[in-house]
Amino acid sequence: MDTQQHFHHPFQHMPDIPELFKAHGYIADRAISLTTKIAFDLGKPILLEGEAGVGKTQLAKTLAAILDTRLIRLQCYEGLDTSSALYEWNYAKQILAIRLAESSKSKQTEIESSIFTEDYLFTRPLLQAVRHGGPTPPVLLIDEIDRADEEFEAYLLELLSDFQVTIPELGTFEAQVRPIVILTSNRTRELNDALKRRCLYLWVDYPSMEKEQEIIAQHVPEIDADLTRSISKIVHNLRSIDFFKKPGVAESLDWAQALLSLKVDSINSEILFDTAGVLLKYKDDIERLKALDMESLIDYKKL
Amino acid sequence: MTTKNFDGRDNENHAVASHTLNICSAARNAGLVITPARSIDVFKTLSCIDISNKDEYQLALRLNLASTKEEEIIFDRVFNSYWNNTPEGEGDYILANSEMIKGSLDAGLSNEGHRDMISESDSFSEAAVARKANLRMRWDPLAPPLHKLIRELSKRLATRPSRRRQNGPHGAKIDIRKSVRKSVPFGMELINLSRTIPKVRKTRIVLLCDVSGSMDVFNPFLLQLMFGVQKTLKNSRTIVFSTQTNDITALLRGHDVVNVLAKVSKTVRHWSGGTNIAKALTDVNRNVLAEGSSRSTVLIVVSDGYDTGDIAGVKRELELAKRRTRSIVWINPMYGSSSFEIRAKTMKAAMPYIDEFLPAFNAQSLLKLVAGLKRLS
Repeated sequence: MDTQQHFHHPFQHMPDIPELFKAHGYIADRAISLTTKIAFDLGKPILLEGEAGVGKTQLAKTLAAILDTRLIRLQCYEGLDTSSALYEWNYAKQILAIRLAESSKSKQTEIESSIFTEDYLFTRPLLQAVRHGGPTPPVLLIDEIDRADEEFEAYLLELLSDFQVTIPELGTFEAQVRPIVILTSNRTRELNDALKRRCLYLWVDYPSMEKEQEIIAQHVPEIDADLTRSISKIVHNLRSIDFFKKPGVAESLDWAQALLSLKVDSINSEILFDTAGVLLKYKDDIERLKALDMESLIDYKKL
Repeated sequence: MTTKNFDGRDNENHAVASHTLNICSAARNAGLVITPARSIDVFKTLSCIDISNKDEYQLALRLNLASTKEEEIIFDRVFNSYWNNTPEGEGDYILANSEMIKGSLDAGLSNEGHRDMISESDSFSEAAVARKANLRMRWDPLAPPLHKLIRELSKRLATRPSRRRQNGPHGAKIDIRKSVRKSVPFGMELINLSRTIPKVRKTRIVLLCDVSGSMDVFNPFLLQLMFGVQKTLKNSRTIVFSTQTNDITALLRGHDVVNVLAKVSKTVRHWSGGTNIAKALTDVNRNVLAEGSSRSTVLIVVSDGYDTGDIAGVKRELELAKRRTRSIVWINPMYGSSSFEIRAKTMKAAMPYIDEFLPAFNAQSLLKLVAGLKRLS
């Protein structure tokens, strides 16, 4: 029997979704809006892949802000296991309790039953998401899933299908309301097909120049419109060059803020050269930038 | 030319269902894995969208049917082709199969000093290169699987201790969690202490295989190696190159060898073509090695090194790859012959950047070498 509560989400009408995102500082295109709507309608997780800094994690944060709910984040890494992701017993506290109980001559069965209770339980992100009460679901962000081991991915598969967790000593916990699950991946490895099949897949690409202008204007409202246009144009040009790590949206925003703090009105080759480290993160890329014709990169005529 | 319009003539639900199934079928023919479960998901999704809006319909289908960036490109091509009633050019989608295919074909490349080994034409125009290699003929079904070899190779290459720990009866560190668990039957008395040792980090192998004409005679070994690596080490990547580069990791996942070989033949249309090692290394550096931890990545190049391409480019890219990987292993099948000496300019240029140079030409020879390999630092 389905014991899960039904949640009436705010993403019912497609035309309203971009505005809803914009009101919370996120510029969503049609693909993101539709993915969000379908994910909420069908209760399916979203798998976002894309280069670093294109706004994958930010989408989860924005969804949490829109729903005014808790964002539960699980940062994946190699070797991540269920004790770090799901739950763990507080062993130090348990040993202390055992010693105290022994000194008070408690029975063994009493000790056993008292130390495996919720007082001694560390709840980790996945269990927190399952135990989150309704009616608004939490947003569960499983960040950089590609960094976790395949064994963990297999475990996640089971969790995502049922949203229930069994702790042998305590029983089974079932989510009252299904969490909104966002998985992100930077493609350091291919994910399991079974996991992908359970998700709605979306490749998040670098934004268009116009969208990037909007993003900068949204996040750095103090900046001049002409300067915003210059920034997005130059970053767009830089992305067409085969750098080792192309600048993402996060770098554009950092650059906009840097230029604002330097009180720069217009960008010239000297400014670009001096602040290259904000946009490019590899020595080879910066050297390559230095060798380029800065004037054509800035491309004044088209600004 | 007619176009599909779900608003007008085909307004009825069964028409939508029929078109959707046709698109699923076309996507399946184009190489996407469309299981019945995925098709069901598509139909569930249709109830959430405005199907009279083409973009919305296309996006909704893509969200469910594609699961990589490359598959998104293939799907869009299939969809547009179906929508506009234009026959899809055979193999067009294949060119979109890899993000790595960026440049146009490099014509005019030829191999040096190994004409005797090249059975195919030595002209590498687009027409000549764009052909299917019959890989089934090059697959040796009787060859034993290479699991043992791959595991041994992986063991030799994996040396980096992880932050995580595993059971080890002689470990220095006590596992409190396990010790407490073990003590329950003894009235919580800590009698048997569990100990742990550091885990050794898994190695991520990036296998870069030369499938140019000069490597044709080693194809059975190459195919075995690719299958073995992909089956044994799930987080590895397999990339093949000649004048172009294709990531065939996803294709090698299938269980049925015949199907997999057919898919690879269909996708890698430059098999037995010329060689451009510099371009292959550039693609790998930009698209594979840029991601993930450099300390746990080992790049294995299987190539004879015959290439008259950009020597400076090979040096530059290997230098970059060296920084992005823990070690570079080069397996050169030609090295197995008695008359071999490193004469190929590319091979000479590459030598300073290679940590292990292995003269292997079949599974047995590689197994012997790997067993004798010292652990790479």
